[in-house]
Amino acid sequence: MANDSTATSQPKFLQHHFVDAEQQFDSAKMGMWVFLVTEILFFGGLFAAYIVYRAWYPDLFVEASIELNTVLGTINTLVLIGSSFTVAMAIRAAQLNQQKKIVINLAITIFLACVFMVIKYFEWTHKFHLGIYPGQFYTFEGIPHPKASVFFSLYFLMTGLHGIHVLVGIGLMIWLLKRTFNGEFSSKYFTPIEITGLYWHLVDIIWIFLFPLFYLIE
Amino acid sequence: MTGHHISTNKMLLQVAGALFLLTLLTVGIGYLQLPHPWAIIAAMGIAIFKATLVALFFMNLWWDKRFNAILLLSALGFFSLLVGLTLLDTLYRVPIIPEF
Repeated sequence: MANDSTATSQPKFLQHHFVDAEQQFDSAKMGMWVFLVTEILFFGGLFAAYIVYRAWYPDLFVEASIELNTVLGTINTLVLIGSSFTVAMAIRAAQLNQQKKIVINLAITIFLACVFMVIKYFEWTHKFHLGIYPGQFYTFEGIPHPKASVFFSLYFLMTGLHGIHVLVGIGLMIWLLKRTFNGEFSSKYFTPIEITGLYWHLVDIIWIFLFPLFYLIE
Repeated sequence: MTGHHISTNKMLLQVAGALFLLTLLTVGIGYLQLPHPWAIIAAMGIAIFKATLVALFFMNLWWDKRFNAILLLSALGFFSLLVGLTLLDTLYRVPIIPEF
C-alpha cells in the first residue's frame, strides 16, 4: 500500500498497483460483473431445474401455484423495485458528494430489504404451518397432484437462495452506512456503493423472474 | 474522476415508475388467464423487459464500457447452453426410470 515516492500525490483510497483512480474503478466494476456472471449461473442451475420440471409436469405448476399468495408476491416485487431505486439514488448522491442523501437512501434500502424478508418470513411460516415443507418432509394434502412436493422444493430452494442474497445485501448496506459515517465516500471514491448497487440490482432481477414463475401461474 | 454517468432524479424515477407499472401489468395479465402458451409468453416477455430496464438504466450498462455488457450476455449464453443441452435429454427421455 505505501508508496513513498508518490504518497503525496496519490489519494488515500488508491492502491499502488493501479495507474489511477479511473483504472481502479473500472477494474473493480469489471470484477463485480464477473462475480455477477457466476451468480447468474449459480441461480441458473435452479432455473434449469425449474424449466425441466415444468416441462415434465405442466399441470403440477398450475395446481400448486394456487397455494402462493399473489398479493404478497406483488407487494414484495414492488418493495424490491423500490429498493433498487433507492440504491441507484444512493450512488447518485455519492457522485454528487451529498453525504446526507447517501445515508438516507441506504437506510431506506435496508428498511425495504427488511420489509421484503419479513413478508417472506410470514409466507414461509404459513407454508410450514400447513405442512408444506421441501422434499420428503412435505405432508400437505391439499394438492391432489402426486408430485406436489417438487413444486415446493423448487419454491423453497429458489426463494430461499434469493432470501440469503437479500440478507447478505442488508449486511453490505450496513457496512456501506458505517463507511459513509466514517466519511470514506465522495464523488472521487464511491466504488463500494457502485458495486454493491450492481449486486443489489441483480438480486432484484432474479426476483423479477421468480415472481411470475411461481406466483403468476393461474 | 471524469467520465462517470450521473443519472438524473427524473430518469431514475421514470425507470422505477415503468417497473412499477409493468409489475401491475403482469399481475393483471395473470388474472386474465390467457390460453396456454400465451400466459407464459406474456409473463416472461414482461419479466425480460423489466430485467433489461434494470440492467441498462439502474446498472448503467447503457453508458458503461461495452465489456461489462458482454460479460452479462456471456452469462446468458452459458445459461442457454445449460438449459438447451439439458432439455435435449429430459424432453426426449424414454420413461425407463419409473417416475422421479
